[in-house]
Amino acid sequence: MRTMLADAPRTALTMAYWGFVLYLFLPLTLMMAMSFKNAAFIAFPIGDWTFDWYLKVMQDKPFLEACAYSVLVAGLTTLAATVIGVWIAMLIATTEGRWGAVLFALACLPAVVPGMISAISLRIFISTIDMPTGTSAIVLGHTVHAVPFVVVMALTRLRSMPANLVDAARDLGADSVVAFFRVTLPYLGPAIGGGMIFCILLSIDDFVRTFFLGGYRPTLPMLIFAKVQGGMSPEINAMATLVLLVTGAVGLYAEYYTRRSRSR
Amino acid sequence: MTKLVLNRRNTLQLLGGSAGALALPYIIRPLPSWAQSNVLNVTTYDKFLPQEFLDKFQKDSGIKVNVRLTDDQGKQYNLLAAEGANPSTDMVTVAGHRYSQFISSNLLQALDTGKIPNWKNLNPAYQNAPWAQVDGKLWGLPILAGYEGLAVNTNYVKDPQSWDVMFDPQFKGLTSYIVSDFMTITMQYLGFDGDFVSYTDKPEEALKATNAARDHLIKHKDMVRKYYDAGSEVQQMFINEDIYLGHAWSGPAAKLIADGHPIKLSVPKEGTYGFCYTLNVVNNAPNAENAYKLLDAILATPEVGASMQRQSGFASTISGVPEALTDIERAAGTLPQEQVERIVFFSPVNRDMKNEMIDKATAEVKAA
Amino acid sequence: MASNSTLARGGAMPAVTAPAYSTRLSALFNSGLYQSTLGALVSNKTTRMVLLAAVPIVWIVMMHIGPIYQMLKISLLSNYPIQHGRAPTFTFANYAIFFSEPLYFMPLIRSFVYATSATAVTLLVVYPVAYYVAKIVQPDRRSKALLLLLVPFWAGELIRTFSIIMLLANRGALNVFLRDIGMIDRPIPLLYTPFSLGFGLVYLISLYMLLPLYSAIDKIPKHLLDAAADLGAGPFTRFRRIVLPLSRDGIVSGCSLVFLTSIGVFATPMLLGGPTTVLFPETISGFFHGASDKWPVGAAFAMIMLVSALTTAAIFMRIVGGKSTRLM
Repeated sequence: MRTMLADAPRTALTMAYWGFVLYLFLPLTLMMAMSFKNAAFIAFPIGDWTFDWYLKVMQDKPFLEACAYSVLVAGLTTLAATVIGVWIAMLIATTEGRWGAVLFALACLPAVVPGMISAISLRIFISTIDMPTGTSAIVLGHTVHAVPFVVVMALTRLRSMPANLVDAARDLGADSVVAFFRVTLPYLGPAIGGGMIFCILLSIDDFVRTFFLGGYRPTLPMLIFAKVQGGMSPEINAMATLVLLVTGAVGLYAEYYTRRSRSR
Repeated sequence: MTKLVLNRRNTLQLLGGSAGALALPYIIRPLPSWAQSNVLNVTTYDKFLPQEFLDKFQKDSGIKVNVRLTDDQGKQYNLLAAEGANPSTDMVTVAGHRYSQFISSNLLQALDTGKIPNWKNLNPAYQNAPWAQVDGKLWGLPILAGYEGLAVNTNYVKDPQSWDVMFDPQFKGLTSYIVSDFMTITMQYLGFDGDFVSYTDKPEEALKATNAARDHLIKHKDMVRKYYDAGSEVQQMFINEDIYLGHAWSGPAAKLIADGHPIKLSVPKEGTYGFCYTLNVVNNAPNAENAYKLLDAILATPEVGASMQRQSGFASTISGVPEALTDIERAAGTLPQEQVERIVFFSPVNRDMKNEMIDKATAEVKAA
Repeated sequence: MASNSTLARGGAMPAVTAPAYSTRLSALFNSGLYQSTLGALVSNKTTRMVLLAAVPIVWIVMMHIGPIYQMLKISLLSNYPIQHGRAPTFTFANYAIFFSEPLYFMPLIRSFVYATSATAVTLLVVYPVAYYVAKIVQPDRRSKALLLLLVPFWAGELIRTFSIIMLLANRGALNVFLRDIGMIDRPIPLLYTPFSLGFGLVYLISLYMLLPLYSAIDKIPKHLLDAAADLGAGPFTRFRRIVLPLSRDGIVSGCSLVFLTSIGVFATPMLLGGPTTVLFPETISGFFHGASDKWPVGAAFAMIMLVSALTTAAIFMRIVGGKSTRLM
């Protein structure tokens, strides 16, 4: 039925996708290749190859601890930010007119504040409410930063939600909470998924807030940032490559696992 | 699509589960209190305190050392200033010329050398250096010294004798510097007092000198490939040959030389400035006694200093360190005597005027 | 489960299938405990609204406004952190500095120009990609296709920035390659230019465009497109009349996220910029990193940036944005 002409956009889109994949991966491939360089600094050409950096990194206790700690902080941040973000988005979406806009602007505030300023003001703020520095303060700081991203994602989908869906559920006798969990939340699914990914990424990329709000147990970015100050060594590339491989593998496994459990 | 939702949910379950498992030891462990008796909290740069040294110190003294890594002076200052009277750190690593900022905000306590039996092992040149004294007191233990040098790629630039080469049109777009640091050097190069020591109470003269340097840098802005901030940036620019020459701290440059890159570091005839990192005890530090024990342990043997120098590229201030280094390590950090004499340490005098004018001029150069 | 899947195929709600937690939820909602507590609370309209509003408002006031209020206070002081012998006084001078010196004006303008162009470029680059994943890839391969785009972002901002340096430097991969095939004999300076800054910005933030767009395009019912095609609408018409209007929400939020992040938060792209690309966040951080104590000026500048960036985003959303519906 479709003609050659109809296939042209399809081909173009396929090329756009693979072009974009190439754009994302080309620099990263270089970065990974550098992790095998036998020298104190990364540079072309690689010349002398070695696997030693990996052996070193995999036995590096501070690195492994930092990874574990980052995962913990990111997990808690994602949990907190998703709940709060979706909640705020629900409120904004049901608020008409000007107040909705004001709420939205306030909800987005933390996304625009430069890291250093946000970190300093949070540090002053937690001492005024007598909260000690440490894991809970870090999670709080990361959550503040991540909430706007969840709000924007959730709101996008909420705004386009067919109004009759909830009405129908309510007509059928479901109360608001039931309607929310049964209709709105599933409809929000992909948006929440995206928001969660933002939360995790923002949390594992943050070093300024982490430095100010905790700091004796370094997270991965703090460790890497401090190491970079001493020179860009292939060791850092080996760390990043390992992180990529592990997250890639976890992602693939999760994908496989879901598909299997669905087909069952 | 639903697949994707579930997929993420499961990924998260997985992540959460493994996070929980991995974090268990942390959660069970009691939360650290800043004032615990056998703890010491140190904020310092990566590789300034060697791990073997810390391990040995913790074993010998029974004090648990927590290290928080920082990457710049401003961050430490901002942290201490934000924490006010209840600091979460006992020690910080301050460069001598930033003292006045920390001291005027009441963030450091003066050093009591009487509590450091090994003080005598500090290189005598640093024991009572004028740059280290503010209000007639010493404020920290000098550990690593460095200077603002001229680094060149020897494949392209032949043995420069003067800062002139930074403004030589044949290297257009091939130089780099930290604007604020190079501003003081340019002032000195143009015949002014780049460290403002002689400008106390003479703000007009100081402003004239600063503006002259600023205008010179703006006029030669086309020489610059990039204004950088961190040592790692200038290292990478040299390695990638994005620049052939530039202003660099001795530490990062020495590490390039030690790794075999064709880099030469020198002090041009107009002279330059030196600086020194010191370990400082924070005002109201909960564990000040433990901090003094650490300071004393650092001075105990030259091996500690040698290891610090090897890792950071800066020169150790502890007596007997050169003997503990290998030839190439020593060569990487060594200057001919005539060049050493051209280095003047940044003074603690008249900092407010200097910082204010240099920061302003820096912004103007960047914006030009 | 079955009825819901039918609905999904019908297309009104493509993304909805009964979630896995459904049965457990039903049990909970039917329990007496629920009926007598939360259930009773939400049956009243006022308590329902209070319940909905309480947590968000407390959070926003405490965590969003609280810290910013601290900064606002500092921005109105003559000096801070407090030093001995110098009591701070109340002043507007820190704001006046911005308006009196063109020196600080330029970086802000430049920031807006870069953020706007980065947003536009990201939208153009990422839209086809998002469309491809959401509508062309077979449903069972979709999560793999998306995963492939996500993985690179796990390397972290700093590492990704350094990998761009390895690509674009004078002795980076691109220049080495061009020299080896004989196209150039002297390296082209690509790094530390407006080009590398833009390249890096798009590289670092494209995900903030991709996910909102994907989520918006994904919910466009496929049967609408098929129907339009059967009625003879060409690909361009279908795009202009159906896809574009229906993905408007995604465009709005993707653009806002990219614009707001690229204007304010990202410090790392600065590593890729050159002497002519100094941006406003760099100016602000100069007041915090410099040796002179200028927190109040930095805070004042941050407030200026905050207000102007949010206003721009709000105007943009006003022009392109949507309306509200009933959700509970």
